[in-house]
Amino acid sequence: MRLSQTLGKSLWTFLFNSGSCNGCEIEMVAAVTPRYDVERFGLKLVGSPRHADLLLITGPVTRKMAPRLKLVYEQMPDPKIVVCVGVCGISGGTFYDSYNLAGPVDQIIPVDVYVPGCPPRPEAIIHGVVTALAKLEQAEKVS
Amino acid sequence: MDVAWTMHTGFGSWNPALWLAALLIALVVALAIRALGRKDYRKNSAQTKPFISGNEEPAHGGGHIPASNLYWGFLESMKAYYERLVPLHTGMLGDYLVWFLGVLAAVLVIGLVI
Repeated sequence: MRLSQTLGKSLWTFLFNSGSCNGCEIEMVAAVTPRYDVERFGLKLVGSPRHADLLLITGPVTRKMAPRLKLVYEQMPDPKIVVCVGVCGISGGTFYDSYNLAGPVDQIIPVDVYVPGCPPRPEAIIHGVVTALAKLEQAEKVS
Repeated sequence: MDVAWTMHTGFGSWNPALWLAALLIALVVALAIRALGRKDYRKNSAQTKPFISGNEEPAHGGGHIPASNLYWGFLESMKAYYERLVPLHTGMLGDYLVWFLGVLAAVLVIGLVI
């Protein structure tokens, strides 16, 4: 199913945990499993960023993960969308003053949409993805 | 076509013409699948590098994976067994014969008792 004219195909998603407590991941699992079942719209998780259109990032980005996040972002084909899920990725959250933090996410790579929450509900994550998609389409139309 | 014609060539199913044809068909199929792939990747960028969980690709020859890695889990899970067994492998024939005779004697004694 085509969600987007810009991408021309289903929205494939790569999930990147940059140091999350896994709370956001649990909500993402809830989003892709039968309760919300976003896979029916073609949004599915893939194992490589080279196959992905959307990058879902959780966690505040630890020093170890920062270069890996940058490389994963660079490996995604264009056009790409980045959605930062959870308050840790937005501001560092409870880890904001940690000695081991290179983030938040937007200090490492550009972010299109922020989804706040600790953790955000599946509805919020889905809304964030749809918002990012709309933003991408708008940018394509303008260009 | 007679399905058994290849049997008369002297090669049987190893007929090189058949294998060459099969390889050519496989090559055409592989190229067709490759042609379906995306063409908008930026060349000589990270987009064409292999994905190794976000790690940098090691230089050619820079990575070395010993064969023992393949059965590391097996050895680790049976560590207690191997810790006792490996020292017994002295490589000396006399030791092995002693073990052989000892086990044989034990089997005979057990057999006689039972």
